[in-house]
Amino acid sequence: MSKAVREGFQQAREHLRSLTTVGEILETAMAFEKAAETFYSGLVDKVSKPMRELVRELAEEETRHFQLFADLRARPDVEAHVKDRIARPAADHKFSNYVHLPELGENPDDQSLLQYALARETAAAEEYAELASTAPEGPIRELFLFLANEELEHKAELEKRYYELVHSGGV
Amino acid sequence: MSDVTPKYKGSVLRPLKALANLWREPATLPMEPRPAAPNYRGFHLNDWKLCIGCGTCQEICDNAAIRMVQIPDLPTDAKAGVKPRRPAIDYGRCCWCALCVDICPTGSLSLSREYIHVSSDIDSYFILPDEKGIHGLGFEKGWSKSETSDLLDHQRQEMECLPAEEALSGFGELVPGYDTQAAVLEASRCIQCGMCHEACPTGMNAPEYIRALWQGDREKAVAEIYRTNPLAQVCGRICTHACETACSVGRRGAPVAIRWLKRHAMDSVPPDQIREIAIAGKAEEPSGRRVSIIGAGPAGLTAAFDLAKKGHAVTIYEARSKPGGMMRFGIPEYRLPYHNLDADIDVIRASGVEILCNTAIGRDVSMAQIRGASDAVLISTGLWAARSARVPGTDHPRVLSAIRVLEAITQGEDFGVPRRAVVVGGGNVAFDVARSVARLQKARYGEVAMDVIALEDRDHMLADEEEVREAAGEGIDLFNSWGPKSIQINDGSIVALETVRCISLKDAEGRFHPKYDESTMVSHAADTVIEAIGQSADTSYLGKELVEALEWSRGRLKIDRAGRTSEPWLWAAGDMVEGPDVVHAIAAGHRAAASIDEVLAHMAVKPGNVA
Repeated sequence: MSKAVREGFQQAREHLRSLTTVGEILETAMAFEKAAETFYSGLVDKVSKPMRELVRELAEEETRHFQLFADLRARPDVEAHVKDRIARPAADHKFSNYVHLPELGENPDDQSLLQYALARETAAAEEYAELASTAPEGPIRELFLFLANEELEHKAELEKRYYELVHSGGV
Repeated sequence: MSDVTPKYKGSVLRPLKALANLWREPATLPMEPRPAAPNYRGFHLNDWKLCIGCGTCQEICDNAAIRMVQIPDLPTDAKAGVKPRRPAIDYGRCCWCALCVDICPTGSLSLSREYIHVSSDIDSYFILPDEKGIHGLGFEKGWSKSETSDLLDHQRQEMECLPAEEALSGFGELVPGYDTQAAVLEASRCIQCGMCHEACPTGMNAPEYIRALWQGDREKAVAEIYRTNPLAQVCGRICTHACETACSVGRRGAPVAIRWLKRHAMDSVPPDQIREIAIAGKAEEPSGRRVSIIGAGPAGLTAAFDLAKKGHAVTIYEARSKPGGMMRFGIPEYRLPYHNLDADIDVIRASGVEILCNTAIGRDVSMAQIRGASDAVLISTGLWAARSARVPGTDHPRVLSAIRVLEAITQGEDFGVPRRAVVVGGGNVAFDVARSVARLQKARYGEVAMDVIALEDRDHMLADEEEVREAAGEGIDLFNSWGPKSIQINDGSIVALETVRCISLKDAEGRFHPKYDESTMVSHAADTVIEAIGQSADTSYLGKELVEALEWSRGRLKIDRAGRTSEPWLWAAGDMVEGPDVVHAIAAGHRAAASIDEVLAHMAVKPGNVA
């Protein structure tokens, strides 16, 4: 991971800690997805051709997530709650987990990339699950549960791909 | 007779006495059929759930009364030995001898106690029997499979194996192979159904060589083997024998020992004669085309043999000191003695193939040079990059990869024999490395201290059952359903591998997706951890320009069914594109060679080449 991207993630983490409203959480979540998309997109031209397809797919998935979040943010039932204050989970660290990952370097291999992506999905899924547990009954809780599930599904797919890559003789 | 005069006696009213019978019960028997005997040989029954469509019933029927009929909706699985067809019976020909029942390997066929069918429709005498019988009346079985009538021999000829203590004393071959008598007896168990033929990746027609062995014609057996496999000494020993999985005889007993029969054929014919048989049919004139092959593993050697026989000039570039690839540097000598591998390679060399060892692409010769000197290039460089679980601690220098350890053992290099080791992995490579290191432990320390941890449970091990069983006999402890969590290090030395319980291995769709119970952990004391979880292809030798020019799919080189890449002059085959398995690599080598030969046939001979 480049220094700039790392610093960007750190800032997002610090910003997240101070959030108190649903709207701000959603904004940061979108920034989280956008940062990943930017990271993967920047990596496409740096990795060797055999890995490029994987990096592109990861970038596209993050773009899809970003768009999904933007669409949700614009929904009237969510809009009505964006200013609601929400209690932060006690152990609020999930979004920031990814900053503790080992450096990917400029030329990560396929296994490192998938490990990195998996850690991000795990962090996001846990964060949304905790937010859902603290949110009041209603559309906002539904929203966080939906987002947690979305991240878990993507994580499960990445895990399968990871295991197939690592345990199947690489082909 | 004409001089005999009948004499009529009695009253003239006697004929009227017959009238008295008008009031008596009729003396004729009813028209309903009488029950048949318990062992009666009536119309056929066939249990479709048991029937595998092997066609053995058709083969044995001397009256040609049975014809196998394709049934479109039935399942088909060549690897499992299942064909989508069922026997149809022509009762205009059937003599109810019941040989079809006696030979049926699954026991699906029987004869019922039903024996009456009256119809003026001739087609109604040609039926596709099922378990309900000709008229769907559910008559019970008459003649059916019994111990005394069964024509199959369910017991395999025993193969001796070195006792564990003796096996551990070195790298001598574990099994001696069949003697002639055992081989003929084993060959006689084959029912010539051909299910193995379709299951073999190379299309090996095993029934042909098995019949030749049964007839005592070993040379013919070798000739049959060489039709599809130029690495027969190798495959006679370490093939994953898909043929035996598909073997019909294995449905109710032990499958025919097809692999050991191949080995017997190869072991019993002198090398000179094998060479002569193998290269028979080689093109008399050179084609004037040159083919370069990178990597002397099973795919490269096979393709080289095929192409050389077609008259092409073939050179193999091999980075290591000797040819053979994983067959030499990955498979332990107790399973595949080097001299047997060398015997196969000698035959390939005798076909005209040139093998340049210690010649690495990018170091000793460039890809561009090879391309310039060749009409076609095949890459078959295997899977030599080791995967790691990358759990905490795996960057320790005493965490070794299985393929590096196996290579070091073959080369006679000292990698530091561990006092106590854990192997991570459940496939054949894991057991190869565990058993090899166990032998070295026994020699150096006098005892074996080796654990193997596998994600799979005992019933779903990837390694061959005999590997697992023999390893246990050699003192290796297997721990099923555990995955690596971390490596414990004290004062810079490994002290243990922590493992967590694996509670499920695959998802609902059958994709590999292990789940763990993090609360259940076991610690395996060790000073060395050997990872045998997977391998990948290193294609860096191709150079950046060629890597960019080629098409890739999900991280691997994109090829067509024949192994041709997106660059028209370049083919790829073997483990690097299909996954690790010798016999699949051989099959891929054949396909690539056939494709290259076809392309070369339409290519002009380069100036300077001899046509």
